[in-house]
Amino acid sequence: MPYRLELTGITKRFPGVLANDNVSFAVKPGEIHALLGENGAGKSTLVKMIYGIMQPDAGEIRWDGQVVNIANPKDARRLGVGMVFQHFSLFEALTVFENIALGMDAKIPPRELEARIRAVMTKYGLLLDPHRTVATLSVGERQRIEIVRALLLDPKLLIMDEPTSVLTPQEVEALFVVLRLLAQQGCSILYISHKLHEIKALCDTATILRAGKLVDTCDPREETSRSMAEKMIGAGLRDIVRSEGRTMGLPKLVVSRLSTHKTGHFDVPVNDVSFSVRAGEIFGIAGVAGNGQNALLDALSGEIVSDDKDAVTLDGNPLGLLGTTKRRKRGLCAVPEERNGHAAVGDFTLSDNSVLTARDRLGMVIMGLLNSGAAKTYTGRVIADFAVKALGPASTAGSLSGGNLQKFIMGREILQKPSVLVVSQPTWGVDAGAAAAIHQALVDLAAAGSAIVVISQDLDELLALSDTLAVINMGQLSASRAVGDVSVEEIGLLMGGVHQSVEASDAVPA
Amino acid sequence: MQFRLEKRREPSRFMLYATPVAAVLLTMLLGGIIFSLIGYNGFGAVREIFLTPLTNPYKWQDLGVKAAPLIIIGVGLSIAYRANVWNIGAEGQYIIGGLAGTGVALATWGMTGWWILPLMVLAGMAGGMAYASIPALLKTRLNVNEILTSLMLTYASVQLIYYLIRAPWKDPMGMGFPQTRLFSEAARLPTIIPGTIVHLGVPMAVLVGFIAWFVMTRTVFGYRMRVVGAAPSAARYGGFSENKTIWLAMLVSGGLAGLAGVLEVAGPFQRMVPGFPTNYGFTAIIVAFLGRLNPLGVIVAGVVLAITFVGGEVAQTTIGLPNAATGIFQAMMLFFLLAADILIKYRVRRVTHQASVETA
Repeated sequence: MPYRLELTGITKRFPGVLANDNVSFAVKPGEIHALLGENGAGKSTLVKMIYGIMQPDAGEIRWDGQVVNIANPKDARRLGVGMVFQHFSLFEALTVFENIALGMDAKIPPRELEARIRAVMTKYGLLLDPHRTVATLSVGERQRIEIVRALLLDPKLLIMDEPTSVLTPQEVEALFVVLRLLAQQGCSILYISHKLHEIKALCDTATILRAGKLVDTCDPREETSRSMAEKMIGAGLRDIVRSEGRTMGLPKLVVSRLSTHKTGHFDVPVNDVSFSVRAGEIFGIAGVAGNGQNALLDALSGEIVSDDKDAVTLDGNPLGLLGTTKRRKRGLCAVPEERNGHAAVGDFTLSDNSVLTARDRLGMVIMGLLNSGAAKTYTGRVIADFAVKALGPASTAGSLSGGNLQKFIMGREILQKPSVLVVSQPTWGVDAGAAAAIHQALVDLAAAGSAIVVISQDLDELLALSDTLAVINMGQLSASRAVGDVSVEEIGLLMGGVHQSVEASDAVPA
Repeated sequence: MQFRLEKRREPSRFMLYATPVAAVLLTMLLGGIIFSLIGYNGFGAVREIFLTPLTNPYKWQDLGVKAAPLIIIGVGLSIAYRANVWNIGAEGQYIIGGLAGTGVALATWGMTGWWILPLMVLAGMAGGMAYASIPALLKTRLNVNEILTSLMLTYASVQLIYYLIRAPWKDPMGMGFPQTRLFSEAARLPTIIPGTIVHLGVPMAVLVGFIAWFVMTRTVFGYRMRVVGAAPSAARYGGFSENKTIWLAMLVSGGLAGLAGVLEVAGPFQRMVPGFPTNYGFTAIIVAFLGRLNPLGVIVAGVVLAITFVGGEVAQTTIGLPNAATGIFQAMMLFFLLAADILIKYRVRRVTHQASVETA
């Protein structure tokens, strides 16, 4: 039997970068094939060529043994390639059904389409009410819409781009059941991820890319997570080093009964959140995206100012009524989740981006005048200490890759030695090597006596990093638990929170 | 074969400065063609409009006098637009500035003293600021779009001129003409080059440009304007309140428009007349964009637009071009500039067309 998909010598060059260098691998029918690599290793470029968004400069793509030229996504879908993107393209104000209908190439009468949607949902156990508005759905449910959309076309190859990064452990399990069922029926799956234990649990084969080149094609069940990670980054992996005999100090950051008001239409505010973080402690906040993490971060950083001065205190000093600048002066720094346009300005140089948050703490302003020398020196230090791949302080933030920009932003805050650091999604979309460096820097900062709050959707990250853990759901924070005392299942249930029960009562099988 | 726009990794510095030049050249080319097609000597008109003001030394003083208000207003607008505060009503703030200065000049009529002119300048700036604070207040309190309010207030200010010069401020010796009396000597802006009409406002305009450039690149105020315009969320994260920025942007742009107004009334006009609103406030929008919202660029752009004003008058007499032609050339310039702007962030690439799926 011919391979479902066979790539031979695929090469793609961008100005200044070789994104894919002579990459060859093949996917059998019914195989779940992992595509593994750090950020910038060339995974997305490769997938975009398979899905017809880009064309290779050299090499050939064979489909069921035939050489094909996939000029655009429509061609790809006609061949039988389906794709579920990492970022969903859904209209929040429309229903599930309307969203699916909008994405179809062919015009299908609504009644027939609905029947087909329900048939696919039942067949794969993707339970969803087609008439619910997307805005009311959890991220896991939204992903199901994208999967149903792809499955309606009876794909012979389904590409999944980092599908689990926003799911709860239970949702991940449910997704795997669907994917295995699909594979059994002969659909090949190209599964892009950097979560190695998932790849070990799910995939038959793994192709590993590094810097655009194919490093290895292996059987993930015979590899360890560590060996695959080392192939991925091309070097030995560093473990988080914790200094022995660490003791927690007195409570540093104390948050009591913190609430925010609802602002946007689909925003989730936080409600009556209380917790405290001691000096030297890393406090993790888990939760599925869209449960009030953004409001919590803004309320801690000072972008949202509280009505109550004691809602946020640092070493007993009330910060609740202060804005970001004053909170920063008192030692509370924060990094929001969105890098572009929130934590950094893409059009500005890195130096100017340092001025954004470090200007007062590091003397970059003298009587209203900017001290560009000080900004440049500090930026140079951040670039050197955090191994940011940039030409220098004068590069624009927008020219950096996502992972490098994240390293710069984390470095910019950490090197200010804040006494409290609040970060959201510190390693989102960052490759394993950079993530390890960021984690180590956070641990070191805590060891030096700072209190750290990490808000993340990546449970593995929180379990590896935190001393204490709490879960945010629908704007409310669970009680804090020491990381050693809590099981993944328990956290998963807390993360699912209300969603799980709503889903069970609402979902209508065909 | 087809062309495709491809995003650049870094915005092109070259294109940043090349596109305004290209816009001017394209305007000359297309303007020449259009006016030829409708039966004028099109390229003669282009020559008269764009070159005669430069080659004829008698026109240089006109250039300076026309460029000064355009530069002063354009600098203020470039600062506000940097912060994404769209003050379209500089014409109204210019008028109120002129009226405020006129008020001081009339109140001190017949007096002498060095303090009269500075007082007029202060009154003019305060007037422009006060008038710009209406849209700022509506925007920050009620979230009313400042484009609409600032633009509409312009028309109200024109009516205010008509009222004042027809009733309370009418020249008692003016034989019924709707205008104020001629300002007394102490309220007139001195000329700096004897025998010409070049007044003190001309060097002041250049000075304003340089000061604004320093402020925008080297101070926290300038940083605030740039960051609020480039990324509002990042600005909030960095501790710059949006409302305060709107106020600052409106006050600075309004104050400078008011300054231009008072310099204009104390300089070329020397009295308030119905013809005082000369659309400098609107033309300065083109100046701000043509100057890349950079105060130094605005100085150059102000001179370019002054050329079209002066040249337009020349072309009226020599070629018989209608007065509106100047406006058409100015509008084309803005149009081409905005269109060419895409080349700063994108490059044009030629791609060979790929055949579709070859498989059966």
